[in-house]
Amino acid sequence: MHALTLPETGHFDEMLLPSGGIRPHYRAFAHWLQAQSPSVLAQKREQANQLFHRVGITFALYGDDAGAERLIPFDTIPRVIPAAEWAKLEAGLAQRVRALNAFLEDIYHEHRIVKAGVVPGEQVFANAQYQPLMQGVNLPGAVWAQVTGVDLIRHADGGYYVLEDNLRVPSGVSYMLENRKMMMRLFPELFARHAIAPVDHYPTLLLSTLRRASARENPTVVVLTPGHHNSAYFEHAFLAQQMGVELVEGRDLFVRDDHVYMRTTAGHKQIDVIYRRIDDTFLDPLAFRPDSMLGVPGLMQAYRKGNVVLANAIGTGVADDKSIYPYVPEMIRYYLGETPILDNVETFQCRHPAELDHVLANLERLVVKEVHGAGGYGMLVGPAASRAELEDFRARLIAQPENYIAQPTLCLSSCPTFVEAGIAPRHIDLRPFVLTDGRETSMVAGGLTRVALRAGSLVVNSSQGGGTKDTWVLEE
Amino acid sequence: MRLSIRHETCYRYDGAPARSTQLLRLTPADSAAQRVLAWRLVLPGPASETVDGFGNRTHLVTLEGPHHEIRLLAEGEVETRVAGPDPALGPLDVRVYLRPSALTAASAAIAELAAGSARSVAGCADLAARVLEAMPYRPGVTSAGTTAAAALALGAGVCQDHTQVFVAACRTLALPARYVSGYLLNEDETHAASHAWAEVWLDHAWHGFDVSNARAPDEHHLRLAVGLDYLDACPVRGVRQGGGAETHRAHADVRATDE
Repeated sequence: MHALTLPETGHFDEMLLPSGGIRPHYRAFAHWLQAQSPSVLAQKREQANQLFHRVGITFALYGDDAGAERLIPFDTIPRVIPAAEWAKLEAGLAQRVRALNAFLEDIYHEHRIVKAGVVPGEQVFANAQYQPLMQGVNLPGAVWAQVTGVDLIRHADGGYYVLEDNLRVPSGVSYMLENRKMMMRLFPELFARHAIAPVDHYPTLLLSTLRRASARENPTVVVLTPGHHNSAYFEHAFLAQQMGVELVEGRDLFVRDDHVYMRTTAGHKQIDVIYRRIDDTFLDPLAFRPDSMLGVPGLMQAYRKGNVVLANAIGTGVADDKSIYPYVPEMIRYYLGETPILDNVETFQCRHPAELDHVLANLERLVVKEVHGAGGYGMLVGPAASRAELEDFRARLIAQPENYIAQPTLCLSSCPTFVEAGIAPRHIDLRPFVLTDGRETSMVAGGLTRVALRAGSLVVNSSQGGGTKDTWVLEE
Repeated sequence: MRLSIRHETCYRYDGAPARSTQLLRLTPADSAAQRVLAWRLVLPGPASETVDGFGNRTHLVTLEGPHHEIRLLAEGEVETRVAGPDPALGPLDVRVYLRPSALTAASAAIAELAAGSARSVAGCADLAARVLEAMPYRPGVTSAGTTAAAALALGAGVCQDHTQVFVAACRTLALPARYVSGYLLNEDETHAASHAWAEVWLDHAWHGFDVSNARAPDEHHLRLAVGLDYLDACPVRGVRQGGGAETHRAHADVRATDE
């Protein structure tokens, strides 16, 4: 028997009812689990570890010594989502991505939402992620973010909330795919017992989205990587291989007559779509950082002239900035005339004096984040912070309030997870990957579930010791 | 006033780069203060033209195959006049010019220089005078990559540095401020004819401040491009593959011609 325990009071558990019973959509899995011997499951976990090492799926840590790569821990208890829940999430995600793309098209053209007073202009235009060089650039289908990763959490009330949008170069989809392959390999019998929505067609969907992004017939697509020192290089190589397209670095490309070409052994080949996994400011040393060795000189000019598609577009970061996030529900109403299907997390903007006062008075109960931060760096989790950490953040907030937002400490839901002493509840989030060509939005069911492996921790980022789980969306 | 410009830029390489690409902002546009009568670029290869997000006219010139030098010539005639503050918004929202850039990030010293200045034309003119006082005109102390903060710390600089420190200081006062590159007709020949000055958005118009010369831009000034900083607006940016060491020579000749 495996003992399953409830999380701390106030958290929703994905598998267990508050009474300790099993939620209906987890019953078949729990039944199977109880029939497995702990030693066999331990062997399976060891097998998974070895296989992942062999595949080379690792993650380099920022701030570590060069080459400090490690395996992202994989947990063999899946996160299971019932069909009806996913249907609502899917509709909400598609709606959100449509609004975010409309917002980007607007703020780089007519600025209607600012003129209408819905989003403050300073938040948009004085934002370091706003790229002035993109003003007036017309993109095919007005698509700015072909690929969006949306981070969702499930709160104590059982509802899903959007924690943040990722419209720059969202990563993690390779883990979603590898996790599924691993589960199918370790536990094929589970897939016979459940009707689980497939995810393995993601590379096909991505390639199809990228190809449709170009007006050219039979367009050539490449994946542009900063190189093997990048923490997500594995994913870049993996996606290129899965899509059957070239993985290139900046030095493999050049611009001639406002078109982008790739050097090949058989001469030059025109490139129509670049799935770029390089940050904006490194893409073209003539337009952005002059010291960038990773980009392609003249790319911006070819892009402005409409001769190459970048996925995602330059300048999308302004839409996922934490200072813009509070306005996404308003964007949905403004551009689509619809009611938001997915809710935001309540957010205090420290740039407003009244909200700063509230944050300072409630610091030990709140999560404080840097507006432009990512990856779980530079954040304060009030309830878990020491007195010294609280005072340090208090000083930072007073010095530069506009750099911070704060949110209530979220009650991330938990999911039973293997830990050293058996199975224990650990907090999780969910990152689905949403693809769009401007007309249609598509996504594979589920996404990447990240799990905070330390007891009580709410930080799921892989850079902060988080692991991952396979995510099952059950088909009806 | 009718100005005649001949601006020659030459890069020479010890080796021979296999490929070089230059982005040029060497084409003036018409405005209330200037009317282009004739303009041409003489370039070493095919160029593609566009208008960038700031509204600048740009050319991209690529040279393929080994070469030892690149010569770029811009020349023409422009009618200039004193037009006063410019209410034209341009393609961008003016609040873009509130944000710092890598070259114009404000240091504590820049913020201190700006502190207390009145957010008015007189206040900005006073601030410009204090910038020049803190870092008198002296060539050879800074280079093209010197940040505003570093230049102020060095206590000297050229028009690029004066302009960048000034726009950084204005932005700490929440005033949109931008970098302008162009030419200046020099009657005394002390400053280079290639020039930079600043514009600040005050009372619904762009007001010019020629910080290095402690005056407002007038019919002696001819504008080429604007941006957040030198990198956004400078006349030539280039990259190349190989080629070893480089010598760079630029000469801009600006004359008043009889009408």
